Amino acid sequence: MAGHRLTPNVDARAQARIDAYLDELAHLLHGPRRRRARILAEIREGLDQSIADHTTDGHAEDQAVESAIDHFGTPPAVAAAFTGELITAHARHTIAWYIATGPVVGIWWLLLLQPHPWRAGALGLLAAIPILPLIAVATATAAGTFATTGRLIRWLPEASPGRALAATIAVAALAVVGDVTVITLYTQSATSVRPLGPSRSAEASSASSAA
Amino acid sequence: MMLPMRPELLKGHLDALLLAVLEPAPQHGYAVIESLRSSSEGALDLPTGTVYPALHRLERAGLIASDWETVSGRRRRAYRLTASGHTALREQRAVWEQFSTAVTAVLGRRPWPATV
Repeated sequence: MAGHRLTPNVDARAQARIDAYLDELAHLLHGPRRRRARILAEIREGLDQSIADHTTDGHAEDQAVESAIDHFGTPPAVAAAFTGELITAHARHTIAWYIATGPVVGIWWLLLLQPHPWRAGALGLLAAIPILPLIAVATATAAGTFATTGRLIRWLPEASPGRALAATIAVAALAVVGDVTVITLYTQSATSVRPLGPSRSAEASSASSAA
Repeated sequence: MMLPMRPELLKGHLDALLLAVLEPAPQHGYAVIESLRSSSEGALDLPTGTVYPALHRLERAGLIASDWETVSGRRRRAYRLTASGHTALREQRAVWEQFSTAVTAVLGRRPWPATV
């Protein structure tokens, strides 16, 4: 953040104090990069306005900067206040990514574990991809978390940041379990249909005839 | 000048206060804080760290929206009420009126302790 000038009239020492404040805050914020950048830009803009107000009120520049920083709170306090929003933003970002890529992964699974042509419908799918119930749970969890952290919170109980994070970890874990299961099933089926090589008896007989 | 109010007392009402401040016109974050303070004669002098995350939450809920704008060469993120925000504010005003009427009815019957 250093180098972002606020009020054009602020001297170098005051600017260094503001940069140090924003640098410390930047190190304490954890979450999606764009969201962190937005928070820092807003705090910078607010500090700018606050310093201008204090200067207009007749405060010396150094004093105006200190008063503005006091009003905003220490970097750990500001970062702590944003923690919940950043956790929720991270959870929504991750879940949106899973929801967006889910259909592609699903098609990939269907191509790998082709349902048996004689077993149609849901049973056929379930026989080919037995982890489908697990994926249904993951999808419901993802949809529920997305709904209870977004625009529907006017009508639905809002999920706390901790709950949203726990749900995201659960969805990620279920996705990993699904991927590993599909890869394992595919590897096993590929092994079972692999053309057999020369049997041991054939190898043995050819060895004895050669002898 | 009224005494500053503790932020925890506002728990549950901050959303409505922020929506009410944004009702007349879009404002940037710092202006929202100043509006709350000036319109309450200093009683609602909330820490900045409380207001900015609350604005982000309201935006996530779709009750307000924000855009970057440039005013006098300064870039600011201005917040404005959405249609859902106007509806929510109307609902929360009605809830507050019911609540405050009920609390006043109860508290009003009790004599305040005399201060020495």
